[in-house]
Amino acid sequence: MLSLRPVLPSLLRSLPSILSRHKSHIDKSSVPRLDQADLQEKVTLGSGPGGQAVNKTANAVFLKHLPTGLWVKCHQTRSVEMNRKIAKQLLVIKLDNLVNGENSVENQKKTNEKIKLERKKEKTRLKYEQRKLESLKEQSEGQDGEIS
Amino acid sequence: MSFLMSRALARLVCGHHRHSVLSVRTCSTQTPATSTQTPDSSTHPTLSQVLDNVTSQLSAAQVPEPALSAQYLLSCCLLPQADLHSARPVLAQDWRQAPAQHLSPAQATTLHRLVQCRLARMPVQYILGNWDFHNITIQVRPPVFIPRPETEQLVDLVLSSLPPPVPGQHLHLLEVGPGSGAVSLAILSARQDLLVTCVERSQAAVELTRDNTSLLGLVDRLEVVQGKVEPGAQLEGLQEEYHLVFSNPPYILRKDLMALEPEISLYEDLRALDGGAKGLDVILPIIELAGEKLPKGGLLMLEVDPCHPHILPTKLESLDTSMVVDRVVEDFTGKERFMVLRKT
Repeated sequence: MLSLRPVLPSLLRSLPSILSRHKSHIDKSSVPRLDQADLQEKVTLGSGPGGQAVNKTANAVFLKHLPTGLWVKCHQTRSVEMNRKIAKQLLVIKLDNLVNGENSVENQKKTNEKIKLERKKEKTRLKYEQRKLESLKEQSEGQDGEIS
Repeated sequence: MSFLMSRALARLVCGHHRHSVLSVRTCSTQTPATSTQTPDSSTHPTLSQVLDNVTSQLSAAQVPEPALSAQYLLSCCLLPQADLHSARPVLAQDWRQAPAQHLSPAQATTLHRLVQCRLARMPVQYILGNWDFHNITIQVRPPVFIPRPETEQLVDLVLSSLPPPVPGQHLHLLEVGPGSGAVSLAILSARQDLLVTCVERSQAAVELTRDNTSLLGLVDRLEVVQGKVEPGAQLEGLQEEYHLVFSNPPYILRKDLMALEPEISLYEDLRALDGGAKGLDVILPIIELAGEKLPKGGLLMLEVDPCHPHILPTKLESLDTSMVVDRVVEDFTGKERFMVLRKT
């Protein structure tokens, strides 16, 4: 017969701390702000006169944060303004990860996902242990019944 | 090749007509171009191999942007049948998400036609049938001028100069030469309190602007008037006054018109580009029109040729107008691309 007794109490002890963590609260207060003066932007439009005189489909945006040297290149959409917007967002994420490490928004989200996963696992483990306990209880009651 | 002939070619090769992104028509009588395929993949090349083949073909024919064009064409031929007429935007990298590793015979046939179009220097945007501009996607079709990326800044220039929206009030703006309608529609998409009137001389552009307006559900906020803005023109259908006037008018200098690449000279309406000797033939009448339609302090925003900030001020003095140059704005390549004029 399996001895469940030592396992269950330790589970029950750690449960409150797991469940008490706030659900998906992301602290965005330390996300760095981009200063236009720190940025170097280059749009690949090809050489030449530009404007009406040229029709090119390339519109990749290269954005560099000069103080840190971090850069991104974006050619996700077919609109230059959209690519510039997205490039800025990507650069903020990169800068956030560099400056704030595990407290960056991206890493906070990752940690929250991990906690979520752990909670799910604990839930499943508990369920399994409970079922096992119940089935053993039933078995022992049966035996008692037979003896008496 | 003459302008009209190239339009005929476009229709023949790509079956490009009003209401379909791509229609399947018989191609030219040329035999399919032999592509340089490696021996072991001659019967069943992977998508990557097809891409390399098309890139080489375009490159050998000195078609500009061969690699990027090839990606667009490949992504376009992989569109599911159902999406062909829905004008779903095609991105250059879409082919990477394709579930199959090889082209079906139907897809290969489609790709062949698309490549023929591109070899004939048809712009990628016309081949795809739609393009993105600022925060919207619009249909494009020859010979209506394809919006350029720099012009996206004109949208922001206009929006940033407007006062904050007042509930229940509308601001009425005027655009000269909408072409596909891109600029007006992007502006309207960004703010709910705006109404726009467009004046357009080209019937094809009037139709395309109206089609795009319907597509974006902005029919109740954009009105297109057909007419040509020229000295002494009496335009009908316009209001007494507009809050702001904007335009991306034809501004290419006549001498530079000859140097345009085939994508432009063969497929786009040159009337959308030709600004005359000094590139000011349409700009000056627009300035006069703005002077009549703007209140005091009202703004006119123009996309121009980089030489215009230097030659326009003197020209203005000879005009009987109350418009003065307020400022010049650079585009993101550092060229002087926009001028803001103010009514005094």
